Amino acid sequence: MTQTVEVLSQWVPIALSNMIETGTSAGVVAKGAEIVVWRDSSGVAHAWEDRCPHRGMKMSFGFVRGDHITCLYHGWEYDQSGTCQYIPAHPEVEVPKSICVARYGVAEAGGLIWAQLPLGSDESSFAGLPAMEGVKSVYIDASYATVLSVLRKQGCADGAVANVMILDRDGATMTIGIQPISNAQCALHITVPKGCAGDVRESILDWSEELRRSIEELEVVT
Amino acid sequence: MILHNYDLFENCYRVRLVASCAEVALELINVDAFPGAEEKSPEYLKLNPMGRLPILEDNALVLRNLSAILIYVAEHDIDKRFIPDEAKDRAQMMDWLGFACDDLAVAVQARAVALLDATGDVVELRAQARTLFRILDDHLTRQSLRGANFVAGDAPSLADLALFPAFALSRDFNLDHDEFPALRLWARRIRLLPGFITMPGIPDYH
Repeated sequence: MTQTVEVLSQWVPIALSNMIETGTSAGVVAKGAEIVVWRDSSGVAHAWEDRCPHRGMKMSFGFVRGDHITCLYHGWEYDQSGTCQYIPAHPEVEVPKSICVARYGVAEAGGLIWAQLPLGSDESSFAGLPAMEGVKSVYIDASYATVLSVLRKQGCADGAVANVMILDRDGATMTIGIQPISNAQCALHITVPKGCAGDVRESILDWSEELRRSIEELEVVT
Repeated sequence: MILHNYDLFENCYRVRLVASCAEVALELINVDAFPGAEEKSPEYLKLNPMGRLPILEDNALVLRNLSAILIYVAEHDIDKRFIPDEAKDRAQMMDWLGFACDDLAVAVQARAVALLDATGDVVELRAQARTLFRILDDHLTRQSLRGANFVAGDAPSLADLALFPAFALSRDFNLDHDEFPALRLWARRIRLLPGFITMPGIPDYH
């Protein structure tokens, strides 16, 4: 009899939408998984394993051309399905369809790009969030548990979906996407409703920098 | 204008980048700095007793300080693109130029330890560079909120050009770009400037 181990899949915010411009890529880490997030020429976001199948180079070091992403190392070029389409060293070769980069489920909602972890999760659709605008991604050297407890003390409430918290501050309702990176690091992706005033956004930046400082001091002490 | 140059030195690249964007002609004299240490030979110690590159020569003038060299080159730009006229704007530019040339020397040193056999504690230097990148990322986030795309205003300045290499080369000492989204967007804008050039370690594509 075979036993199946059920792995809970979950959607994790990995970047602010407005920080991944069309035609660019970036490396992110979520729960220890290295992910390349990139946006193709039609504006669609992708989240893949950050590893070229050829020599293991990080795809996030590569570059986006049209609707393909290309490895920096030897120029192997992959289409939106993750399938290798072109190998510059062998331009005449029809590339075997088996050369693929593994893809995460990806969604874009609430001003955030989301990846479904772990790799190979049954693709479920993302619940959806109201339209928001990114203000800043804050990277904090502290565990998920520490960051969460500090946010709760600041008055954060759980959001509509997992890994999201809501905080009213300075007359704005922030929605904060929480990305667990490792046991010792988290990112907070802070968003505000469209039309939120500039001075409110600036005070949110002040708050976020102070928050990072205070949490990291706490983490050093404990 | 003669630049005593070593292609793999970040500080020499800073001078070449500014000269290229400012359309100032440089004559390059390539020095066998690694592993030859030619900049520490008796001939070179006459030019710069500190035994360092870059060195800029313009007839009888010899400059050895990085920001002095960068300002001198940028002042020869016919269009005066990279040094603001107005005192406050210029002061803000100089403030970030100091950050690039003085504070970020730890990033230059981290890379030199990682790649070029220099001595130093790369873990500590990397941690210091990371703290500085955070400060710059925070600043650029604020700038873009105010509608300014560059460190000292809405136009690229000498400070932006001087800051770019430290970030672009940080993977050489294992400091990745993941944590600095505002720096990534800014670096992309620098890459699009007319006259932009790369060096080994900074890919041409993007």
